Amino acid sequence: MKFVKYHLTFILPMMAILLGIEFFLVFDRATDSYRTQLQEGYSMFVVAKKPLELKDFKRLNSHISQSEEVDKEALAIQISKGVNQTNSKEILKALPYFYNVKLDSYMSSSELRSIKEDLEESDTIRRVETFGSSYTDSYKLFNFIQFTLKVFLGFMGLISFFLIIKQMEIWKYLHRERMQVMEIFGASLMLRSGVLFKTAVIDAIIATFVTSGVFLALKYYWAQESRIDILIQKQNLLFQSTDFLILLGISLFIVIISVYFVVFSNKD
Amino acid sequence: MSSNFVINARNLTLSYGDKEIIRDASFSVKKGEFVFITGPSGSGKSTLLKSLYGQIEPTEGSLIVGGLEMGGISNGKLQELRTHLGIIFQDYKLINEWTVKKNVVLPLMIAGYSIDVQETQAERLLKHVRLSEHKERYPLELSGGEQQRVGVARALAKNPFLILADEPTGNLDEYSSNVIWDLMENACEQLKTTVLVVTHKIPSIFSNPYRHFIIESKGVYEVR
Ligand SMILES: Nc1ncnc2c1ncn2[C@@H]1O[C@H](COP(=O)(O)OP(=O)(O)OP(=O)(O)O)[C@@H](O)[C@H]1O
Ligand SMILES: [Mg+2]
Repeated sequence: MKFVKYHLTFILPMMAILLGIEFFLVFDRATDSYRTQLQEGYSMFVVAKKPLELKDFKRLNSHISQSEEVDKEALAIQISKGVNQTNSKEILKALPYFYNVKLDSYMSSSELRSIKEDLEESDTIRRVETFGSSYTDSYKLFNFIQFTLKVFLGFMGLISFFLIIKQMEIWKYLHRERMQVMEIFGASLMLRSGVLFKTAVIDAIIATFVTSGVFLALKYYWAQESRIDILIQKQNLLFQSTDFLILLGISLFIVIISVYFVVFSNKD
Repeated sequence: MSSNFVINARNLTLSYGDKEIIRDASFSVKKGEFVFITGPSGSGKSTLLKSLYGQIEPTEGSLIVGGLEMGGISNGKLQELRTHLGIIFQDYKLINEWTVKKNVVLPLMIAGYSIDVQETQAERLLKHVRLSEHKERYPLELSGGEQQRVGVARALAKNPFLILADEPTGNLDEYSSNVIWDLMENACEQLKTTVLVVTHKIPSIFSNPYRHFIIESKGVYEVR
């Protein structure tokens, strides 16, 4: 019971912060890969009178990163079915040039519209088609979820930080006699708050290990059994070894900040 | 800096808020002197000691301890001064979560001495206060007299130039009291340590010359 009161009241809020940060890291990585997917899956379809090269497209709008001519021979053959061979050549000549154009980053619908307008300004280009609407909607929803999650995690982090400070004040109170005695014998502030540091560092390390354990369990057990495809495919996103170091670093940083906060705030 | 004096008070006034405890007191103590301070309860004996180790600052006048003016002393200077003082409290002020040995070497720990030095010093000091068998015990497992001897050992640990003791034998039996008086007399004689002791009764066993201050009606007077 004493241990619970003494340590868990520090470890739990610390874990809340670390879990929040790890969620954030995982979510950020997942968003990144989702964003790349969207970007790669997204393209514009351009109909042109004359052949165009990538640099021609780039001149029209700098966001264009790739252009690929659609092979129209197969198309001509389809059209010329039933017509004789020579006509297929004629049809091929009469057909305009088709291009799949890719963009360098994910664009909002208004940005897409302006790219479309840029392209259509060219005399060579006859028509531009975009297929963005469903992507845009899910992307917007995704962005919104990400934003709410960040706000929530930030808020949770703030509250947890205050709980940590409170707990540290309790520790300081519990050890006030020891700290006073040390002060009378000329101990520096660092030495006097050593007991707070030591307890907090140990608890921070415990919190880091437990948090990492939770995510490793999610990664190796829960993700497999969840049968959620995206979790199984992106299993490696769930916890990476560098995350442990990030969490450890952050928890120690919080310890240092909060010790100084408590030790310096009320010099009595 | 009047180098001859370990303590030099000129027109010293000490107070808590508006409440004056000592007014306009002047006295000085030289290196190697042994001073007893007596006076009625509530007269300000502990208050005077507090001003000597910088727990309270002079309201008026000047108080110089070990060459340092205590009025407006900086934190750094005060910290440094305190590492050269040996303070003994009436209520012991031991750290109850620490063993006797660790309590005794606190001043050495603060000064950054190695564990080895701490270890050998602890052995020596605990032998002096006759507590060698108790070194691994915790303060609350000791009697009042034993705890006070731990406090004395701690005060002597770093050979302070000034010992400030507040009723060090307050409610101890004769054996413990005599051990403590012996140690302080020895430190004074052999190491030229200056000793200030607040007590309600000057021990009869005391053979060496000493000075005697009385605090009464806010004044500090010397009995001759
Ligand atoms: N922190 C404080 N705040 C206000 N008044 C205090 C404080 N400490 C002591 N006093 C008062 O100052 C006066 C002197 O107290 P002090 O402790 O110096 O007396 P003393 O001579 O040591 O008494 P005793 O022999 O009982 O220990 C007393 O009237 C006491 O009530
Ligand atoms: Mg007193």
